[in-house]
Amino acid sequence: MQLKKYSINTALYALMLLCLIWALSPILIMLMSSLKTQVNMFEMPPKLFFAPTFESYREMFFGRGDFPRFLKNSLMVSILTTIVCLFLGVMGGFGLARGGFKREKDISFWIISTRMAPIPAVILPLYLIFSKLQLIGTTTGLILAYTTFNLPFALWMMTTFFKDVPADLEEAAMIDGCGKFRAFWRIVVPTASPGIVATAVLCLMFAWNDYLFASIFTNRQTQTIPIAVSLLVSQSGIKWGQAMATGTVIITPMLICGLLVRKYMVRGLSMGAVK
Amino acid sequence: MEQAAIRPLKRRAKWNRTEFWMLLPSVIVLAAITIFPFFFMIYASFMDYRLDMDHPRFAGLENWQNTLTDETFWQSWGRTVVYAGGGLILQLLLGTGIALLLYHIPKFRNLFSTLVMLPVFVAPIVTGLLWRFLLDPTYGFYHWIVRQLGFDVQILGDPNFAMLAVIFMDVWEWTPLVTLIVLAGLQTVPEEPLEAADVDGANAWQKIFLVMLPMIRRMIVVALLIRSMDILRYVDTIVITTEGGPADATKTIGYYLMQVAFRFQDIGSAAAVGLTMLVVSTLMGRFFIKVLKAEEA
Repeated sequence: MQLKKYSINTALYALMLLCLIWALSPILIMLMSSLKTQVNMFEMPPKLFFAPTFESYREMFFGRGDFPRFLKNSLMVSILTTIVCLFLGVMGGFGLARGGFKREKDISFWIISTRMAPIPAVILPLYLIFSKLQLIGTTTGLILAYTTFNLPFALWMMTTFFKDVPADLEEAAMIDGCGKFRAFWRIVVPTASPGIVATAVLCLMFAWNDYLFASIFTNRQTQTIPIAVSLLVSQSGIKWGQAMATGTVIITPMLICGLLVRKYMVRGLSMGAVK
Repeated sequence: MEQAAIRPLKRRAKWNRTEFWMLLPSVIVLAAITIFPFFFMIYASFMDYRLDMDHPRFAGLENWQNTLTDETFWQSWGRTVVYAGGGLILQLLLGTGIALLLYHIPKFRNLFSTLVMLPVFVAPIVTGLLWRFLLDPTYGFYHWIVRQLGFDVQILGDPNFAMLAVIFMDVWEWTPLVTLIVLAGLQTVPEEPLEAADVDGANAWQKIFLVMLPMIRRMIVVALLIRSMDILRYVDTIVITTEGGPADATKTIGYYLMQVAFRFQDIGSAAAVGLTMLVVSTLMGRFFIKVLKAEEA
């Protein structure tokens, strides 16, 4: 019996190890390749131990690719989008969670279907409207484009988080003489703050990771880092060293942010279906 | 659900106005950037509309007729079904399997689930880039492994394998999400039915298939819906790896739309294609809400 249990456990861990290799090896290979010389990078099988070089990163930051500008654009657009969507989403989410509106169901449905609309189908009409308004190639245009999916996301998520906060809490505050809005601001928002942070991180991530909107709505001045990736892949060949370094720079901040709010990550990514 | 509907009623007089004004700005902004474009797209689908035109001409049902009789349109939808169907089935099987594995593993469950989760944070464009690197016929690690196993194919250059490859990219990135949703479901399965099954002499497999999985059926449906909507949303991996090729083998409906709109510059037809995509995703969204509501009740 003891032996059987022991062998089952060994099998479980062995399977787990396989899953981890499958999930993590691409990320590790990218990280390692970004630190290898062009020659080492293409050795098969890849070497696990090697003398790291920062040549690819140096070339990325100081080469002709103009990488710092991409980085600056990405940061600016994602942070501004997050601020706008979070501000509207926190207010609106509370309104929707507590308002008891007659059409609440229809509003929720509208919100989620907006969030789920296929990106190519959203890009097309926005492109036509933006070109009439001369917003193509501007940061404002890209922020508006990201708002089309981040605002419904923030609204939806904040509604589910605010529904978790017992209404008695703000009622008690109001009995104590707090105004409506003050009760919301001083009592409800702090209680729901982990949810607000998680929603912010995910909004940031969706904007930061976007490629398709940026590929249509930006020009040379406003391009974001995912565009830098596609520019490194060209007809004449791929600059793999820089491509791997750029990839690493794109995913590292998101891995860190994601792990910081790990507990709420699944809830956010499943649109609140997992509590 | 019932409760939520009744409780705010009581406070309506006191609260409703504030909440209305709090929700209003979001509704206005969202309407401006989604409803207006939506109607604009309907309008465009009835116009002869090219990117370089200032004044599109009314075209009646021409775009719709062209689109719906275009073989490429239906083939693209067909490939989308293969891409989404194949990807979803694999993700569901693998995801549920890994969730069960994590559920049964005696130690370090949190650590393992965190590590397994990481691909979810990778930008889809980087996933595509990464897999293109791994599958490269001259220096790709995965290609090297495949060759060691005795197969010498240019995976992304072969119409039969390219679709499989882009499916696997999606599976790699999103299986962890299915895993975590299912695992969250498993962790809510109460002790009693499992103990009862023990008393009845059920083995581990019977407990999984007869007790646990039926109890978390809804969670599995939720995972499936979330993933099916997102699989329609993104075309990034296809854009960076195969560009719909080789020989259109990976041209899904989203990629087809981008091509009609921005390469052929036929906005009218692209709008018609976009509307068919919106119909499908809206139907799935409606279903998702239904499942969620059923769960709350």
